[in-house]
Amino acid sequence: MIVQPHILTKALDAALSTGADFADIFLEDTYSSQLTVLNAKPEQAIVGQLYGAGIRLFFGHEIVYVTTNDLSETGLVKAALNAAQSRGQGNAKKTMPLMQVPFDSIHTFGEKPWEMDRARKFRWLNSLDTVSRARSSHVTQVESGLNEKFQRVQIANSKGVMAYDERAYTRLRSEVYVEKDGMKESFYDDEGHMGTSEIYDQVNINKIAEENVDNALRLMTAQYAPAAEMPVVIDNAFGGVIFHEACGHGLETTSVAKDASVFCGKMGQKIAHESVTAIDDGTIANGWGSLNMDDEGNKTKKTTLIENGVLKSYIVDEMGSRQTGYEATGSGRRQSYKYAPASRMRNTYIAAGKDKFEDMIRDVDYGLYAKKMGGGSVNPGTGDYNFKVVEGYIIRNGRIEEPVKGACLIGRGIDTLGKITKVSDDLKLARGMCGSVSGSIPAAVGQPQILVSSLMVGGRAK
Amino acid sequence: MDAIKDNFQKIVSQAKKDGVRVELLIAGGESISIGYQKRKLDSFESTQSQVAGFRVIDGANQGYAYTENLAEESLLRTYQEALNNAKTVQSKTKFEIPLTKPGQKLQTLDVNNTEDVPMNEKIAIAEKLEGLCLDADQRIQAVPYSGFSQSSHFKRILNSEGLDQEFKQSFYSGYSSALAKEGESSKVGGERFFARRFKDIDVEKVVQKSVEKALSQLGAERPATGNYPVVIDRSQFPMVVAMFESYLSAQEVDEGKSLFDKKLGEKIAGAKFTLTDDPFEIRGGGLRPFDDEGSPSQKTVLFENGVLKNFLTNLEYSKKMDLPHTSNASRSPASSMGIGSSTLVISKGTQSLEELLKMYPKVIHMTKFAGGLHAGYKETTGDISMPAEGFLYENGKKVAAIDQFVMSGNVLDLLKDIEELSNEYNREGSSTICPDVLVKSMSFAGK
Repeated sequence: MIVQPHILTKALDAALSTGADFADIFLEDTYSSQLTVLNAKPEQAIVGQLYGAGIRLFFGHEIVYVTTNDLSETGLVKAALNAAQSRGQGNAKKTMPLMQVPFDSIHTFGEKPWEMDRARKFRWLNSLDTVSRARSSHVTQVESGLNEKFQRVQIANSKGVMAYDERAYTRLRSEVYVEKDGMKESFYDDEGHMGTSEIYDQVNINKIAEENVDNALRLMTAQYAPAAEMPVVIDNAFGGVIFHEACGHGLETTSVAKDASVFCGKMGQKIAHESVTAIDDGTIANGWGSLNMDDEGNKTKKTTLIENGVLKSYIVDEMGSRQTGYEATGSGRRQSYKYAPASRMRNTYIAAGKDKFEDMIRDVDYGLYAKKMGGGSVNPGTGDYNFKVVEGYIIRNGRIEEPVKGACLIGRGIDTLGKITKVSDDLKLARGMCGSVSGSIPAAVGQPQILVSSLMVGGRAK
Repeated sequence: MDAIKDNFQKIVSQAKKDGVRVELLIAGGESISIGYQKRKLDSFESTQSQVAGFRVIDGANQGYAYTENLAEESLLRTYQEALNNAKTVQSKTKFEIPLTKPGQKLQTLDVNNTEDVPMNEKIAIAEKLEGLCLDADQRIQAVPYSGFSQSSHFKRILNSEGLDQEFKQSFYSGYSSALAKEGESSKVGGERFFARRFKDIDVEKVVQKSVEKALSQLGAERPATGNYPVVIDRSQFPMVVAMFESYLSAQEVDEGKSLFDKKLGEKIAGAKFTLTDDPFEIRGGGLRPFDDEGSPSQKTVLFENGVLKNFLTNLEYSKKMDLPHTSNASRSPASSMGIGSSTLVISKGTQSLEELLKMYPKVIHMTKFAGGLHAGYKETTGDISMPAEGFLYENGKKVAAIDQFVMSGNVLDLLKDIEELSNEYNREGSSTICPDVLVKSMSFAGK
């Protein structure tokens, strides 16, 4: 517990003093640590503390949000009064008696980040350097980092809900730089999970280093991708970023309620090929985008978004629920107390189908196999999306052939959903960071391999 | 004596006992943000923040820690964590890291506006940013993103050499993003503003541009795949600058990551390209009297007529690489020391945008990068594959709106191929103040 209930009740009463019909307080005390090894030396160590509160008031469909770093009774009540007096002129309401929701975590955490021996962490990072350099003499630099965040959250609202949660995020990242005949290339990969760092004693992190080197060297010999529309097979795991960008953001009520999504008014309609079923699941134990409760104090859920091509649910937060009439899905999320929560994705993926990956490749005469995707973005209003292919190969006559670089995929979400003609039986998830109105949050993406019958590949014109 | 100074002096005493030196960077501020949706006030946010970040220097090693809890015991604990971190790391630098000495003259920058604007006038701006868009044309279906903000920021640096200096600034900003729809075509057009004084906010102009951008793209089609001369609009060229900006950092050069390494004094950009780092540029977003280790700001010419003239440095890298000190230390309280620009200013040309668009029989006017750099740029190689929108011009006449295409090339080639710059600058508040830029050839993937 970060702040005692009687103080929260006073602050909530202050928030309700001018006619707000709902108020909540999100308190946060977060430890973070970033360790970096550059060229086999521990180069950087930063630790820090986020410490603050966000107080939110609803006046019908209007949101008032204030933040403060002063978590004393005086500080919280003052911030709540400022929020109330900034907008309201109505009658005061009272907070329901606060009832603690039992803290029952679906996750298992080991040693806290501040309890673990730092030398052990630097050993993992150093081994990435050692293995990378042993793999090739062309390696000029290895930069590896371990980011840890342990977030303690307390939420109380005027309906009498008081809840507590702990989230631990750990991410190991390594980037290798190679140089040969005056040419430079690089490749990176990472391992991340909801949990603490002891997992790296079991994970084969050497594989990350070896694959980074192999991929960087492969890119040195790769030609630029062609510029044309063609069939594209997108790999599983982080390949799911296509659904995240092409569709997921457009299903958030943050866009839907503003009539700023191409999926507005399409509930119950067929919006994708019948082979597509898509899920947004916050309940996966130790999942990168999982939560015990969301950042509005609601128990998180597993939500079927699309079933056999038909739109079944939006991604709904509390205000989105008020505005659209759909039930909240436990999807209110934010980067920190500095942001008001918004409807956001958790672990979002296309469910496994029945097709075989080998058959998909065999069906393509000439196309692109996008094995590893990079970052992407979308404009929910138009559905236009784009993302980078960081590892790609030409498919020719049903076989995966030469590597290509510099490819990016662009399209319109609703068009692309209709062009997913095959979905494999090999579902995998991967972690990513998602940026939107309520900041940057951990969100998993995933899919089995999919075949998109035609996509614009942005490479180089001949 | 203020509490921060009092607490810091206690920490300096402790640092002396620990045999280290210490710097404290505190940054924070207050802001109000107001948004409208469907002609109703939708959100009102009032935020305040403060973060204190320590840098402890133990010879060549530097350790960092930060906190948002500025109570005395929290600051002392955070100093101890920074000290532990300094004892943990092993820098490849071989000398004692310098700290800024006090007593150096700073340029006065009077940008901390204390005018008292009634709340209803601020709310009215937010209302207009949405409402005027909706009123402008029946094809404007919604304004998904719009808002008004008033912000005041401060940055204070203290160090164990006796330095204690602070910079405060305040400004207004806002944006309007209109969604236009006609038939099956829908397009979003956005525009922002930045003003130091309330009376300088021109809402009508922001709305007009936002609506015009959305409407003019309706019915856009993919251009034919090929290589074209391109005029990169002045609103978008800051994104191109962001692609190569890190190559100007002496630290990136030292770490072997800069594609400008070993090119100092060489002509690597078009002959009309001149770029200056100008921390005193009043229109820029990087205005500051001192950098993030407290050194007095100064102007630095980076490119002159296409020739690379300087790299950006802080105290450590100036000494390490024997380069002029340019006062470009850059960090937040929650990050380690690095090097960064203030406001980058590209010198204007003499011709208008219209004249640039006439310089080839076919020219693409690229008016919007449709995605972020994370989704289309690779810093290690300089390769660009960015989705974009714009217009096709033939003999100086606009013949088609174009979208859903990818502009590709390499940033080093792009710099070399800069042929002309227009005589107009982009909006205030940008991190790069620049004109429209004509590039001889880029690859376009379309239909």
